[in-house]
Amino acid sequence: MKVLIIEDEKELVENIKAYFSRGDMVCEAALDFAEAQEKLLSFDYDVVLLDIMLPDGNGLNLLRLLKQIRPETGVLIISAKNALDDKVEGLELGADDYLTKPFHLPELNARLNAIYRRRKFQGHKILEFGDIRVNTDNHEVFVKDMPVILTIKEYELLLFFITNKNRALTKQIIAEHLWGDDADFLDSFDFVYQHIKNLRKKITAADGADYIKTIYGLGYKFSEE
Amino acid sequence: MNLITKTTLLYLLVALLVFGFGGVVTYVLVENEVRKETDFALRDNLNQVSEELAEGIPLSVLKRGKVDISDLGEMARDTFFIYSDTLAPHPYLEGVMEPYRKLTAVRKVGARYYGFSITDVFIETDDIYDVVVEIMSRLFLILGVAMLFFSFLITRLLFRPFQQTLQQIRSFRLKEAEPLQLPDTTTKEFRQLNTFLTQMAAKARRDYLAVKEFSENASHEMQTPLAVAQGKLDLLLETQGLSDEQLTLVQAIQQSIGKLSKLGKALQLLTKIDNQEFSSQAPVNFSRITEASLEHFSELATLKDLQMSSRIEPNVQISVDPVLADILVGNLLKNAIRHNGQGGWIAVELTSEKLVVRNSGKPPRVPTEQLFGRFQKSHATDGSLGLGLAIVKKIADASQFTVDYQFSEGAHQLTVGFA
Repeated sequence: MKVLIIEDEKELVENIKAYFSRGDMVCEAALDFAEAQEKLLSFDYDVVLLDIMLPDGNGLNLLRLLKQIRPETGVLIISAKNALDDKVEGLELGADDYLTKPFHLPELNARLNAIYRRRKFQGHKILEFGDIRVNTDNHEVFVKDMPVILTIKEYELLLFFITNKNRALTKQIIAEHLWGDDADFLDSFDFVYQHIKNLRKKITAADGADYIKTIYGLGYKFSEE
Repeated sequence: MNLITKTTLLYLLVALLVFGFGGVVTYVLVENEVRKETDFALRDNLNQVSEELAEGIPLSVLKRGKVDISDLGEMARDTFFIYSDTLAPHPYLEGVMEPYRKLTAVRKVGARYYGFSITDVFIETDDIYDVVVEIMSRLFLILGVAMLFFSFLITRLLFRPFQQTLQQIRSFRLKEAEPLQLPDTTTKEFRQLNTFLTQMAAKARRDYLAVKEFSENASHEMQTPLAVAQGKLDLLLETQGLSDEQLTLVQAIQQSIGKLSKLGKALQLLTKIDNQEFSSQAPVNFSRITEASLEHFSELATLKDLQMSSRIEPNVQISVDPVLADILVGNLLKNAIRHNGQGGWIAVELTSEKLVVRNSGKPPRVPTEQLFGRFQKSHATDGSLGLGLAIVKKIADASQFTVDYQFSEGAHQLTVGFA
């Protein structure tokens, strides 16, 4: 997956690059409007990460330009503004998703992959991990080719684990992924635990391996090891 | 009562006093003048008669209706002029007495003394009084009519710039960019007022923008460094060989960053509501908003084993900003879930008059009305920011709703009144 990060905060760009360096992503960065415009005109990207507040221009204009020349490119807007107007305008202009700062890198990863799947494979992407197969088109999950029925939250959790495989995920990151702004509940960590417990039970009941490793005091890691 | 009517009435009252007092003065002056003139005429008459007497004209000829002369011989003495008022029968009208002015004096003409007594008709004080009252009341009437008429004209002409200024201020909106356009006027006071108002409006707008900008910037500029810190921690977690202790520390930092970010957003929302940035007042379907919110939170309620029941009157239309309505209902439900115990209950009722959210939970430790304040928490240990109800209150104030928090018989009841 080829990604262009348009973001003026250098450290943030470094974070994203470092995080994605472990996956199969190729990341390029543009630190201002002019550079971004040049790169968008010259190269082809799968997904563009777009900060709409740039020092030398409005990111929404880059979005307009991109949708004119390469409408098939996926766009994920990242913004410090939580303003509804910006969100609506961005999505109306053709952005695929909107992520408010600050965000967790696993969350960013999950969103980027979701856009990539939608754009590149029109959703017909089969994700595989060990014995598990997920059809992201119709949300079907198979363990050793046996269908497993998951609730919506369990499915989201599984997808989040697979896209962030072999990465340490704190309960907070998982809670925020599942419930967004509502995750600030005292007991949301207990809720995460309940969902994990159920998901683990369903996978092992279908004779799948227990991929969900508990990291004591931190959270979980989805891995084959 | 407007200013002009008030001043006109006051002027008329003052005029009434002045005319009353002026009438008394006029009456006294005229009466004195008349008396003086009458007395002068009487003395003149006496002198003339005494001259005629000296010329040798016989007494019988000189004695007329109003002149009486008596020969006092050679052994009398001169006296002063003595004036007196007296009554005498009217010359033509029978039985009517008239006031007369009478002059009596003893004068020496030639070698003899004569006693003179001359009377003259005196203008009645009644008549003077009548005339003065008549003049004064007519003048007052003319003045009154003129003042009413001119005050009407003045309101129209002189006060036009003032009216325009009022009109402009009434339509002044802080949020709009166009400057306050006040009419030019030649009246010094209005010019001062307009200058003052223009300056105040500009200052208010500057302050408003400054606050708006500050709160926006504070929130935005805060989020990016937080995003950087958050990302660094995510990367730190990726590294190998962190001890359990270190992992716990990282997680605690992550939670604090998350809380800080939410705090910024919540404070920004409060400021935005204060700045009336949500001002749509079109009617929205409150039933649908409430149902959507209930649906949204049903999972969290289920996870906490809460019994949720609702009675939603269909199609309740309320004039409120849709974003604020959503936040209002969301915060109430979140609050009801958060401050509830495992296995508790929540009951939501919506009618066209009010939205009532009732839930089980521990009794509040502070008076319920204080919980609408910022950073007020009933139980200090929970993870909430303490801004949820402050936002509810702020939205209610901005939307002209009432909010009420009651706790009785183990149930918290929050009521939002729409009327």
